[in-house]
Amino acid sequence: MGESIRTVRVPIVERVLEANDEIAAKTRAELGRRGIFSIDLIGAPGSGKTALLEATLQRLAGRRRPAVLVGDLATRRDGDRLARWCERVVQISTGEGCHLEAGQVRDALGDVDLEGVDLLFIENVGNLICPVGFDLGQTSKVGLFSLTEGDDKAAKHPYLVTAADLILLNKLDLAPYLTFDRAGFEADVRLLNPTVPIIDISATTGAGFDDWLAWLDRGLAGRHN
Amino acid sequence: MPVVHEFSIAEAIATQVLSYAPVGRRLRGVEIRVGALRGLDSEALQMAWEAVTFGTSMAESVLAVDQRPWSITCSECGREWTSPVPFVSCSCGNQTPSPTGGDELDLLAVTVDEEDGEEAT
Repeated sequence: MGESIRTVRVPIVERVLEANDEIAAKTRAELGRRGIFSIDLIGAPGSGKTALLEATLQRLAGRRRPAVLVGDLATRRDGDRLARWCERVVQISTGEGCHLEAGQVRDALGDVDLEGVDLLFIENVGNLICPVGFDLGQTSKVGLFSLTEGDDKAAKHPYLVTAADLILLNKLDLAPYLTFDRAGFEADVRLLNPTVPIIDISATTGAGFDDWLAWLDRGLAGRHN
Repeated sequence: MPVVHEFSIAEAIATQVLSYAPVGRRLRGVEIRVGALRGLDSEALQMAWEAVTFGTSMAESVLAVDQRPWSITCSECGREWTSPVPFVSCSCGNQTPSPTGGDELDLLAVTVDEEDGEEAT
């Protein structure tokens, strides 16, 4: 005792997610080396992420070699659904985690034979907020919204809208039963992200899938932007 | 507000702070800067910080959050200003000025106890 204590401020200035981003950069380099086009699919619970991927995998059968990583809080249900359409599916159980992190994706990729794979879909945990800030090493981020969520969801989630390379608006088949201000939705998106493509789709009827699959083809050919 | 979001960010901050705070010295404060796009709620982040650091060497330290605002630009009159929310109208009557925000999430500094006579680093 007898020593007087004062405090000292230690300046640092470093990105909080530096460690995550370093892993993501390595993953991006590895996927790029293999010529794999990868997407991080981000959407709310119930927006139809798994249904979209099921319908997409069906249509890609025989002409692409996709792999899927699927993040889920607690169950294996999404992975089981997707495994019916794709041999290379890895379920990532996040436990209490509300988003995927780069380390989980890196580890899951270690369980996939990537030889010959050309497309990688990463289905993030159902959440419009947390996943956006965590780089996974993907080529593109796809934001999935749906008509049943309401037309204000883009305005309420500006980070996803700003970060998205593509916005899919799902459940087009339900449009006759809902009051969804489509023009208002797009106006909100445009204020935040003037150039992002928006594709209206229905995972149930297949509407809009020609445009969605063409977007994937262009991504694989490195022809986005 | 989805506090779980702030929780995961608080955990990432704690991990990073531990790599900087000198062993054996009491952590008093942590300063971070958060861009508007991150959508982090300062109050929720502080609650999460308390919970994450409880019972650790970082307990009772204060998390100071420099929350960066949205930059708003009016395409009609050219006015530029900052706002805590992205969708606002302009005083010229334009209902849809453009919001832009940063996505920075930076650890700026830590404050620790220093023994008397010790050189500041």
